[in-house]
Amino acid sequence: MTPAVAQPLPEGLPGDRLSRIQIDRSCRQTVVWYMVSAVAWLLAGSLLALLASIKMHTPGFLADADWLTFGRVRPAHLSTMIYGWGSMAGVGVLLWLQARLSRVRLPLPLLLPVTVVIWNLAVLYGTVRILQGASTGIEWLEFPVEVLAFIGFCMAVIIVASVLMFVRRQVKHTYVSQWYLFGAVLWFPFLYILGVVLSEAGDVRGVAKAAANWWFAHNVLGLWFTPIGLATAYYMIPKVIGRPVHSYHLSLLGFWTLAIFYNWAGTHHLIGGPLPAWLVTVGIVGSMMMFIPVITVAVNHHLTMAGNFHHLRTSPTLRFVVVAAMSYTVVSFQGSLTALRAVNEVSHFTHYTIAHAHLGVYAFFTMMMFGAAYYILPRLMNTEWHSARWIRVHFWATSLGMALYWLGLTWAGWRQGEMMNDPNIPFLAIVEYTKPWLHSRSLAGVLMTIGHVSFAWLVWNLVRQRGAALIGPTLLKRRKSA
Amino acid sequence: MNRSLTIALGIMLTVVLSMAGLVLIPNWQFREMQQHKDDDGNLWPVQLEGAEALGRAEYVSLGCVYCHTQQVRPPNYGADLDRGWGFRRTVPRDYLFDKPHLLGTMRTGPDLANIGARQPSRDWHMLHLYDPVITSPGSTMPPHRFLFEKVAPSDRAPERAIRLPDDSGWILPSARAESLFAYLRSLDKSYELPEAPQ
Amino acid sequence: MFLVYLVIWAFTLLAGASAVWALAWAVQTGQFRDFRAGAASIFDEGEPVGRVTDAFPGEGKHP
Ligand code: HEM
Ligand code: HEM
Repeated sequence: MTPAVAQPLPEGLPGDRLSRIQIDRSCRQTVVWYMVSAVAWLLAGSLLALLASIKMHTPGFLADADWLTFGRVRPAHLSTMIYGWGSMAGVGVLLWLQARLSRVRLPLPLLLPVTVVIWNLAVLYGTVRILQGASTGIEWLEFPVEVLAFIGFCMAVIIVASVLMFVRRQVKHTYVSQWYLFGAVLWFPFLYILGVVLSEAGDVRGVAKAAANWWFAHNVLGLWFTPIGLATAYYMIPKVIGRPVHSYHLSLLGFWTLAIFYNWAGTHHLIGGPLPAWLVTVGIVGSMMMFIPVITVAVNHHLTMAGNFHHLRTSPTLRFVVVAAMSYTVVSFQGSLTALRAVNEVSHFTHYTIAHAHLGVYAFFTMMMFGAAYYILPRLMNTEWHSARWIRVHFWATSLGMALYWLGLTWAGWRQGEMMNDPNIPFLAIVEYTKPWLHSRSLAGVLMTIGHVSFAWLVWNLVRQRGAALIGPTLLKRRKSA
Repeated sequence: MNRSLTIALGIMLTVVLSMAGLVLIPNWQFREMQQHKDDDGNLWPVQLEGAEALGRAEYVSLGCVYCHTQQVRPPNYGADLDRGWGFRRTVPRDYLFDKPHLLGTMRTGPDLANIGARQPSRDWHMLHLYDPVITSPGSTMPPHRFLFEKVAPSDRAPERAIRLPDDSGWILPSARAESLFAYLRSLDKSYELPEAPQ
Repeated sequence: MFLVYLVIWAFTLLAGASAVWALAWAVQTGQFRDFRAGAASIFDEGEPVGRVTDAFPGEGKHP
């Protein structure tokens, strides 16, 4: 069979019959480049992660230059992963999903590819500045302030594209994923701009700056990564297994409760800290209320899957997406419990938090993006993945690595916290206790990096169109009618 | 168009409210906050200047905050006071001039809110910065040798240099190391504030 | 400082007109009615309910 791309497409079809293939083709340039850039940042971020991880148990490793010191490599890891990998993959998936769900072509075909270039330069510049020592020192906002202008511009274009798609949409019903995506696209630039303004403003004083810091950092997770991740799950799970979402009404309840409660939880990062007590209490209450959206999402995702688990054997997308959706449930329950004062007293300043962080940004968000990439990229490139074996390597290396990471540091972090709360144990004895577990994290990091390299290899071959031409169900319909 | 605008506005409202609630209102609370004048007429906390301020910038640039907090939790919540990390819990006024804030969220190393009081020795800090295992066997803090110049052993000590305990030579702190020490030395919250008795 | 407050409040006003409004819109236009149709809106004749749309390369049984 010839690839469908070779055939000319009739223009001017009535909107509602605009086929998937035309929509996919309109996304090709922008979305593929967002995803490929994201994968490049994933590799860079993994290298920085391994460096940071090794330095935590072997501090003499590469310690002779200030740009390689732990205190610079670590924020560089966070920034490349969050703004390079996570956000760029997120934008790619978000644009594709919106085009698909609205059933319109991706608008701004000239401007959107330009944003890919600008975004990449912004992350590159920011990372280099951090390594040079010009970090702002504010966790999650380490990039120098000028980066805001570039990412802000890109987000402005992305908002316009989103609004255009929404306005032109050819489907009467607004699917739940669209709510989440629309939320994400509007929230993120708002958070980012205010995060920077509040951090820089001389008028915001002392610990109010800390409140602003964590209001921002928490909301990047809850109102940028989480909605994109959930929108993906709400589309991919039903779509792959061919079965509508279990209880659709719950999904809308989930969206609104997320929108209302998540953003109040930021101060749970400062429990026990020098802030007015009411402020921290608000954060804890917000965290408890999060049980509502989390349970609605859990019910929906897991019950939609019920009876369909056999598809996990055959669908790479589903494997990653289901692992991610389960991790979302676990990380959120863990998070709400962590926000309790009694738990936080032990866990706050320890590796336990780091384990939770990666359960969120990795096992939930990163795995979700992997799953989405397996679905989207072949359709855009009109090519199959070239090797099922590499996909399996990717899946098992990242899953096992993540499991090792989380189990090891959750346990070690909890013990670390208990020991720290016992003043009779010398501090250096605690440091000694954590070392073997930090080694296990480095091992986990190697496994995860093996997974990332496999993934990058697959994407590289796909983009070079080394696989078989796609003859999936997506294209079948189109070919008949053309 | 109208509809999308409506949704957009609605979606934003929730976040705007939380920003006002979590950041602007507390900031409002702090508007009246001023330094405290003690019985001798001294003002606390002190605004950092000169080497201390430069040292703080160095602390930011080298990313010490990723392993060290600067906050002392109240009694009966953790063991911060029992560990000798402070004289009293820290309160918002202690951070009046902090920009960026350096509260931190991780204690890979101990809290530093009062390190200047706990460990005032210049020699100790310089050796510790140069290679932490000299003073703290088993420590995982990274060595900051790049802040020093190593001078070969000789009988005549270079000015301001510190002798390495294994007699392998002297270390000469750079200006960056000196300012970093000045900052660490300034971290001392032994002053009293009315809202936080010792 | 004026600028800071301008930015903050401009955003606040610009953005904050009303969540109720959005909810009202959603209710009025029937976003909360007929959930079954809503859940099915991602399927169509090309990819109907019941069709599995992803498989490992070379291993899928394509219809
Ligand atoms: C109901 C949902 C959640 C709640 C209540 C929650 C709660 C918390 C709490 C209390 C902390 C602070 C721990 C400490 O410093 O003592 C925390 C940290 C963190 N959480 Fe969550 N969490 C939730 C879901 C998530 C999700 C879905 C993600 C990822 C997408 C995530 C990622 C993180 C990260 C990265 C940190 C570390 C931040 C830092 O210290 O840099 N969490 N979470
Ligand atoms: C190759 C796999 C990875 C390894 C080995 C790894 C390792 C690390 C290490 C060593 C730290 C510093 C922990 C500390 O300061 O105690 C860290 C922090 C962090 N990493 Fe990763 N990481 C990996 C992947 C990722 C990915 C894919 C993301 C994001 C999508 C990510 C996001 C973060 C964040 C947000 C933090 C800060 C956590 C906090 O402050 O609580 N990491 N990681």
